[in-house]
Parts: sequence; structure tokens; C-alpha cells
Amino acid sequence: MSGYTEGIIILLCINAIAAMGVSVLTGFTGIFSLGHAGYMAVGAYTTAILTVEYGVHYIPAILLGGAMAMVIAYVIGVPTLKLMGDYYAIASIGLGEAIRLILENWQSVTRGARGYPGIEGYTTLYVSLAFFAVMAFGMFNLINSRFGRAFKACRDDYIAASLLGFNTARYRILSLVISAFYCGVAGALLGGFLSFIQPIMFDMIKSTELTSVVVFGGLGSMSGTLLGASIITLVTELFRPISQYRMLIYGAILVLIMVIRPEGIMGQYELGPRLFRRLKDKFSFRNRDNSEGRSS
Amino acid sequence: METLLQQTINGLSLGSVYALIAVGYSLVYSILLFSNFAHGGFLVIGGYICYFTLKSLGFNIWIAGFASLVGAGFSAVLTERLAYKPIRERTNVTLYLLIASMGMSIVIENIFVIVAGGRFRALPPVIPTHPVHIFGLATTSAFDILSLLAAVFFLGALQLFLIKTKWGLAIRAAAYDLRTAGLMGVNVNLLISIVFFVAGFLAAVGGIFLSVRYTLYPQLGMITIKAFVAAVIGGLGSLPGAVVGSLILGLAEMLTAGFISSQLRDLVVFSLLIITLLVRPQGLFGKNISEKV
Repeated sequence: MSGYTEGIIILLCINAIAAMGVSVLTGFTGIFSLGHAGYMAVGAYTTAILTVEYGVHYIPAILLGGAMAMVIAYVIGVPTLKLMGDYYAIASIGLGEAIRLILENWQSVTRGARGYPGIEGYTTLYVSLAFFAVMAFGMFNLINSRFGRAFKACRDDYIAASLLGFNTARYRILSLVISAFYCGVAGALLGGFLSFIQPIMFDMIKSTELTSVVVFGGLGSMSGTLLGASIITLVTELFRPISQYRMLIYGAILVLIMVIRPEGIMGQYELGPRLFRRLKDKFSFRNRDNSEGRSS
Repeated sequence: METLLQQTINGLSLGSVYALIAVGYSLVYSILLFSNFAHGGFLVIGGYICYFTLKSLGFNIWIAGFASLVGAGFSAVLTERLAYKPIRERTNVTLYLLIASMGMSIVIENIFVIVAGGRFRALPPVIPTHPVHIFGLATTSAFDILSLLAAVFFLGALQLFLIKTKWGLAIRAAAYDLRTAGLMGVNVNLLISIVFFVAGFLAAVGGIFLSVRYTLYPQLGMITIKAFVAAVIGGLGSLPGAVVGSLILGLAEMLTAGFISSQLRDLVVFSLLIITLLVRPQGLFGKNISEKV
């Protein structure tokens, strides 16, 4: 396999892990965040500092990077997740930018805006594939578990959910902490892939990209998120020769998706036997399908 | 003492420019209840129209300024027609509008990257920037005073428009309830177009002053994040709140730059945002946001 293909696959895994993290928060719990690149930055810097300065092996370092992102998400989340809707979205911009600015100004630890060079290239093809497989397995189990159903209840109607006895505040924080872990690990893998990280890599544009990948794939569909992340990553690679127009096309796609199919590629469905059964029903009994299906 | 006075004037001047941007953003929010992230794009459009009418067509600042304000206003209307209208006619989920507006902001930014190039441009010296002494107490630039005056003028004009005219009344009614305003016979689509025109118009004023203060480049629109922060501090959807929030933000930024470190000014801005959201999430002048079941 050529180095280029290998690089694309590694990038696909990293983007998919980060997108899964945002998806559990935005798609399943209904909390819209525009600052998740900040958690990627925390993971990336923690792992970089641990491996370079303290000589820690990369696997515990990556996990500690994810754990650090969890801790920060918890500390930030407890007070701010009381906010709802647009208010949390705007607060999360502030939080993400604050993390980036702290990394930029904390010269003695992070080496400031010029970036952190010399990270060991630990993110090989197999490492990234293994991390992706384990984390995807965990995520699909999570969303089908008791917790996943509680997240969806918080998303669909948090008042009804709290009346049914769910501690919605706790589930919202749990969801944020899990998503921060995924983003932290993705950031750590990105650092190992590029061997160099810089605060500006984790700015608001990166956060927007993460959220739009999730929306593009379909809010509330994990396989849609993976599909969306793969399509966006591959399309950006495809347009690399005409890189001038890349961001323009990306923005236009975002607008078009919202205008044409706002529920995303997959809607709320998962890829699997149920989707095919539903599609089959839809095409064989055309007049009966209105009661079900596109009710979101 | 002299630094304090000087930084206060600078802060008020910067805050007044933020106010021009935040008021338009807040106006759109009060009608459609979504954060229009493409607002920064209108500012950039205004700046570039002004730059090219001055440089290539050689007009004076009055014509260039007028063209820039009207051009940005119409591009705001066009943005609404192309991207937001199809969405808001189909659903009332404001999340979709939010994401479409992010897409539009990326589109506008990159149109200018392609057409005008990503480099920094300085506007020709059309606005005087010579130093002015204020009663021998402090020295400031004429530009700061001019931008303060321009902001006061345009905000006053907006206030008159909202209070004295029929469309102003309709906009205030729609800010309470867009649907009911529509049922009372207000042409909602025209009203939304007018609101976007006003928002783009005011953003372009801010854009011209910002491109003199800093320089003009496609990513200048990112500065509207600070205007959003100001609008949230003042209370989303509240126009006096947006103005007061902007002035607080401008002062905080300039005083931090003057007395602590200019690298920390953005951090202070975002800390102010987070403190406001924690202590008083509805902002200084906001309506109570508790939701009804």
C-alpha cells in the first residue's frame, strides 16, 4: 500500500473517531457544540507532552490524553450545560476558543503559537485502525444501551424525560464527557500522525467541520456519522488539486444539504437490516408508508 | 491616568464598531431566533466593495461608502433568499438555519479568497487618522472619534427607523411573535428582507471602520464572534443590550491591552462571555428565557 493511501486511511480513522464523539453529543443528546476542536487540542497536547517530555509509551499517553479531555469537559460542563440551545452553542464557541488561546499563551508548557514539534510518529495504520475499531465497537454498544436510550430521551423531550425520572442534567454531562474522550483520543492520534501540532489547527473552523460532518451524516445516526465523515474526508482529499476552491465547495455543500435534505444522508436510521426492511416496505406498499418513516 | 483616559476612548470607539455589527446580528436573532454566522461575511463584502470602488474606480469615500453599505445590504438579502428562505419555509428547526449560515460564511469568505486573494490590504487613507489632543489630557486619533460619531449616528438612525416608521413597528411586532405579525397582515418575507438589509448595511459600516483600524482580508469576518459575544452579554435579541454589551467588551479589551497584555485581550472577551452565561444567562437586558411546557 502506498504511503498516500495509508495516510488517507489514517486520516479517515481519526476523523471518524472525532465525529463519533461529536455525534453522541449533538446527534443523540441534542446538544449543539461549536467548540469540540478544543477537546481535540487538549488530547493532542497532553499526549505530545507526555510522550516527548516524560517518555511515556504512546498507548497510555493517548488514553491519558482522552482522560484529560474528559476531566476538562467535566469541569466546564457542570456549570455550562445548564444552558440550552443557542446559548450553549455560543458558550461552546467561547470555551473552545478559550482553550486554544490558553494553549497559545502558555509558552512554558505548550511552546505557544509556533506549535509543538518532534512528536514521535506513533499513529501507524494499524494503531489507528485498532483504535477506530475498539472505539466504534464501544460507541455502537453505548448508543444501544440504557445510556443511549437516556441520551435520546434527553434530546427528544428533556422535560418529559426528567418527569419520567431520568436525571437529565447527569446524562447531558455524561454525554459531553464521553464525546470529549473521543475527541481527545482523535486529537492525540492526529498529533502522532503529523508529528507536529499547533493551536491554530484546533480553531473554530475545525469545530464547525466536526459538527457539520455529523449533521451531514444525519443527526441521530451513528452509521450516518461514519458515512458523513468518510465522504467529507474523501471529498476534501479529492479536491486537493484545486485546493483554492476546496473550502468554497465545502461551504456550498453544507448550505445545499440544509436546503435539500436537512435531516442528513441517513436521517435517524442506522445502516442495517432494519433500514433495508423499511426501504423494502416503502417501495412495495407505496400508499402505506406515510404513517411511518419520515416523521422526524 | 493618561493611559486610562486614552484606552477608555479607544475602547469606546472599538466598542461602538462592535455595536454596529452586534445590533444587526441581534436584530436578525430577534426575528428568526437563530445565530446568523454569515453576518461576518456581510462585513467583509462591505469592506471589499469599499476598497475596490476607492482603488479601481477612483471614487471618493462618500460614494464608495454608500456603494459598500447598499451592496452589503443587498448581499445580505440575497443570502437570506438563497440559503435561509427555503429552509425556514419548510421547517421551524432553527438548527438547520444555523448550519446553513455557517456554510454561507465559509462560502463568502472563500469567494473573496479566490477573487481578491488572501493577502492583507490597506484601505487608501480616506479616513483621517492624525492625532487629536483632548483638552491636553489625552491624545487619541481622529479616527477613533470619527468611528464613535459614525456609530452614534447610524445607531440613532436605526432607533428612529424602528420607532417612527410603519416598518419599524412591524419589525418590533415581529420580534415578539413573527407568526402573529404575519397573521395581522405584515408581509413576512418583505419584513425579513428589510431586516437582513439593515443588518448587512450596519455590518458594512463596521466593516469599513474595522478595515481601516486593522487591514482588510477575507477572514476579517471572524471578528464578528466578538460581536456575538457582545450580543449575548447584552441579551440576545435586545438592541440596547447589544450596544451596552459591545461597549463593555470594547472597554474590557482595550483596558486589558493597555494595562495587562495585549495577548490576553481575547481571553478576557471569552471569559466575560462565560461568566455572563453562568451568572445571568439571559444577559443584561434579555427577556427571561425559561421555557414553557
